[in-house]
Amino acid sequence: MRFFKPSSLPELFLTMENFEGEKYFLAGGTDLNIQKKKNLLQDRPVFYINHLTELKGIRELHEDILIGSLTSFREILDSQLLNRKLPFLQNSLAYFASPLLQTMATVGGNIANASPTADILPLLLVLDARVKLLSKSKFRELPISEFYLGYKQTILKSNEIIGGIIIPKTAETGFQTYYRKVGSRKALTIAKLAFAGLKKTEQNNIKIVKIAVGALNEFPRRLRKLEELITGKYTEDLKSDELRKILESEITPITDLRSDSDYRFEVTLNLLLEFLEE
Amino acid sequence: MKISLTVNGRKKEFDIDPMKRLLDVIRDDFGLTGTKESCGEGECGACSVLMDGKPVTSCIVNAVHADGKTIETSEYLAELPLGKLLVDCFDETNAVQCGFCFPGFLVAAYYYLHNDGEPNLEKIKFALSGNICRCTGYIKIFEAVMVACQRKKAGEL
Repeated sequence: MRFFKPSSLPELFLTMENFEGEKYFLAGGTDLNIQKKKNLLQDRPVFYINHLTELKGIRELHEDILIGSLTSFREILDSQLLNRKLPFLQNSLAYFASPLLQTMATVGGNIANASPTADILPLLLVLDARVKLLSKSKFRELPISEFYLGYKQTILKSNEIIGGIIIPKTAETGFQTYYRKVGSRKALTIAKLAFAGLKKTEQNNIKIVKIAVGALNEFPRRLRKLEELITGKYTEDLKSDELRKILESEITPITDLRSDSDYRFEVTLNLLLEFLEE
Repeated sequence: MKISLTVNGRKKEFDIDPMKRLLDVIRDDFGLTGTKESCGEGECGACSVLMDGKPVTSCIVNAVHADGKTIETSEYLAELPLGKLLVDCFDETNAVQCGFCFPGFLVAAYYYLHNDGEPNLEKIKFALSGNICRCTGYIKIFEAVMVACQRKKAGEL
């Protein structure tokens, strides 16, 4: 196995230039080591990046919060800045994996691994997060909702890495927040489904609503049609049948070892109703 | 790759596979077999150690992650005052049955006792939620940690 430990970000990009095609990036290692144990790793170069301080930490920018891709979930949960500015994001991640895994697992890893059940994604989606992608001489920024192209497929080019996540400071301000991760136990569970919602209402009239789900499609996504239907309506006017119909067109729950499609669908509908009525 | 790390106060430098599991470095290269392998996937906590003071599952940490770091295993923690207190409390409440998971529980409980230590059942449960025991029903384990927290708070240590 070809293994590289670049001393800096520029050196990483220089070394990467020598290799066409797919690469592995070793950050916290909580996903890659599982694949290694199961002998699923292919013959690709491995780039160790977890020591690159340029990509670590949580910073306050003018209008946004920047979370470096190598920030660990422990740092997210301990951050005073997030506690002040984005407490919904912070509190919702308390049950990410387990306290032991939170030390090593990184935000960038959770995103790049591209699991349909990645815990942080529904939250980033409703917070209108943007993702910063870096390559040797360029960077680009795009909405996190455009990062996934299909099952385990991302928009990342082979010479690019995730630099960080950018979330508007006011992303949670004035919103009622809702997050449920449904699993077979609290800790160390892979979600059967996850639901995140933000809404702003005035006398029961829903002015703004943002809904995202995980583990219900090939990748976590915003439910835009549902949002469109709900926006401007009074909570009491929303009919369960109508919501069900739209939901059927927007999610494609599957049956697997963790749950079955009917259960996933009905629970999602129930969470949606709870979110709207709260 | 050249890697140097300190385990339980002993510093060593090796030329080893950077992807070698920290668990194997501790067991094979340092000869410390208190750290156990059970699931091998980070889900059971039997292989827990402290790395620079933070709890990690050493079966999914690589040697390269530990380069320049300080590792403390259950053998070491058990000899510290708070570790001794925990071992006493585990004894008193009969929390240990087969014992295979216990080095991991000791590390997670030590981390909690050292960094927080509030005698609060919900917090204790959360602190130990990354560790699995297949013999007991956890009740006595929580009890043991609770008693340790109370004693620490009462100023016995």
